[in-house]
Amino acid sequence: MEYSIQYKPSYSLLEVELAAGERIVADSGAMAWMEGPVDTKTSTRGGVLKGLKRKFLTGESFFQNTYSATGEGARVALAPGCAGDLVAYPLVDAELFLEKGAYLASDPGVTCDSKWGGLKGFFNEGLFILRCTGTGMLFFHAYGDIQEIEVDGEYIVDNGYAVAWEPTLDYRLTRARRIRSFLFGDQILLRFSGRGKVWVQSRSAQSLANFAHPFRRVQRKGD
Amino acid sequence: MRTEILPNGAFHSALVHLGPGDAFQSDSGAMFRASSNIDIDVTTRPKRGGGGGLLAGVKRLLGGDSFFLSTYRTTDDGEGEVGLSPTLQGQVELIRLDGSASWLCAGGSYLGSDADLALDLRFQGLKGLFGGENLFFVEVSGSGELLVNAYGRISEVPVDGELIVDSGHVVAFESSLSYRLSKTGSSWVHSFLAGEGIVMRFSGRGRLFVQSHNPKEFGSRLGKHLPPRRQ
Repeated sequence: MEYSIQYKPSYSLLEVELAAGERIVADSGAMAWMEGPVDTKTSTRGGVLKGLKRKFLTGESFFQNTYSATGEGARVALAPGCAGDLVAYPLVDAELFLEKGAYLASDPGVTCDSKWGGLKGFFNEGLFILRCTGTGMLFFHAYGDIQEIEVDGEYIVDNGYAVAWEPTLDYRLTRARRIRSFLFGDQILLRFSGRGKVWVQSRSAQSLANFAHPFRRVQRKGD
Repeated sequence: MRTEILPNGAFHSALVHLGPGDAFQSDSGAMFRASSNIDIDVTTRPKRGGGGGLLAGVKRLLGGDSFFLSTYRTTDDGEGEVGLSPTLQGQVELIRLDGSASWLCAGGSYLGSDADLALDLRFQGLKGLFGGENLFFVEVSGSGELLVNAYGRISEVPVDGELIVDSGHVVAFESSLSYRLSKTGSSWVHSFLAGEGIVMRFSGRGRLFVQSHNPKEFGSRLGKHLPPRRQ
């Protein structure tokens, strides 16, 4: 499999060239265009239960599409759902954690399963995370710029901005300390510790939605 | 203290490196990454002669987006870092204030500032006109660094004489500039129909930053497609 990431870092798109017999798995809805002898198969990879778990727990799609080349010259372009950056991460019998929604595509040798993100159930983001294991390329994306941080010790990331992290890092959810104002909603932070890489995004879809909210029309009583 | 703008494509953000004794502040929701020795202190901005009424006003103006500030300091007398990100797609710009002139920053364009800089809220009302479109500025004075963000590109327009800018495109300007608010067209009705908002007529000499796109315009385009909210 040959791949290239086009239009980095703001409008990244993944282009994959498959030789006969090669396959790539992608989030359903990610396929932007394809050419050549490509066979598309929609499945709930890992069985219905795993698929349902992925769908309801992480918000990742229930279905994943597998694109297989039945001959030479097969090309597939996969596009993330929002403008931003894309990272290719090679897994060699290893593991990587993804925030919900960050998964774009992977080699068939990579398995993704949802994992309980820990702690209580009142956080609105990333309670469940995606655990990707196996061998092969894993492609993840995010809204905005993606910044790679080498953690050695401890590092703090706002819960809505974490994209992916290596399993050598431990994390716990905490609140920003010393909040004086009762008016202000708590900021939930992910506190990583250990040694490893974490990727963060520089924009948040949630905060964009908050921006748009006051511009909604107002429905008056009786309307 | 050193402020770095991470200029990656369309989505700029800022990384502020803090030394012992340094303090930086930002709008409360702007922090997205920080080293673990950073202490975050959230306060509402005290305003001389102001009160709850003012804050409520700010909140209303920004459409529920609160103007609360977080102050960041290192806890262990070491070096630390704080990453700040704006909401919309676009650039971040650093403005250095040397103490000689204060700046006025459009409410939605303020990202963060050196804690040594004094912040004050300014309202420029044309209340009651066309649904009470209001302008809200953060006045920044003292010497230190100020971070502003924009929807789209930021460009600096030096003013020497007169310049008219739609209020939705103003990011920040030096207070040495005087301005008055007015309409673009020959009458308010004409101006309203033409879809122009309030314009600012600048005069004098000073620095001005403008943004290529108007956040309010974008917001109202989005808002039309969203289900109505209940009052």
